[in-house]
Amino acid sequence: MLPGKKSFELLEKSSEFRLQAVLKRGGKPRLKAELQTPGEILRTFCSIVKVDFFEITNEPLNVGAIARRVVPETCGAIVTLDGFVRQFTKGRETLYLEYEGYQPMAVREMEKLGKRAHERFEIAHVGIVHRLGKLEIGETSVVISVAAPHRRAAFEACEWLIVELKRTVPIWKKEVYRGGETWIEGEFSK
Amino acid sequence: MIKVNILFFGATAETVGARELEMNFAGATKSNEAFAEIKLRLPQLNEHKLLFAVNQEYANGSETIENGDELAVFTAVSGG
Repeated sequence: MLPGKKSFELLEKSSEFRLQAVLKRGGKPRLKAELQTPGEILRTFCSIVKVDFFEITNEPLNVGAIARRVVPETCGAIVTLDGFVRQFTKGRETLYLEYEGYQPMAVREMEKLGKRAHERFEIAHVGIVHRLGKLEIGETSVVISVAAPHRRAAFEACEWLIVELKRTVPIWKKEVYRGGETWIEGEFSK
Repeated sequence: MIKVNILFFGATAETVGARELEMNFAGATKSNEAFAEIKLRLPQLNEHKLLFAVNQEYANGSETIENGDELAVFTAVSGG
């Protein structure tokens, strides 16, 4: 989904993969372009709409697909965090986790993190998707994908984003382990 | 009198036994007073360290709570 009220319509598609793109804002066409190649389409798309994405879902996460949702031509690296359910924590065996979120606020907080990441790091694009519901051992709970012209900024931004996500985004996990269950409380630093 | 909606998540939802409650206050109030009042009316919440939100933003205590606002009470977040 694209953020805000912008829409990007592909009006026609011919056999030569020729697309006409119209960016509308408030119903008025703002930009018209006839695009010839997938690269042109991607570049134009990235330049006229925000390509960052911040989502909550109950569906399993496809890490590779999320990481490759946007590959700007000006970038040379994508760093992707695949956070998944750990089986053993300090010797205790987890059976599964249940995630719950304050969904609209969680998305807003993730959007804020994306904005702050752009201010702090030389990066081109951020995508964060967090899954909720019951997750088995090894299943992916969160994907953070950062594209940048050079890898160092992408690594640093990705690490910063997961630290901040765990501190500020209103999502909670209940750990169900052998012999009990408990809601995990994060570090109380907000 | 104003009426607000209060949301609970995770541990606070279990403690309160509800995900959502309506509550009336005598009139417009600051968020720190509103949350003190919520803890007074739901003392079981005091077993947790709590975070508060007003209209889907973290509260700083000084927001003015108005009729129809969405409040939320929850523990330190643990996503990821």
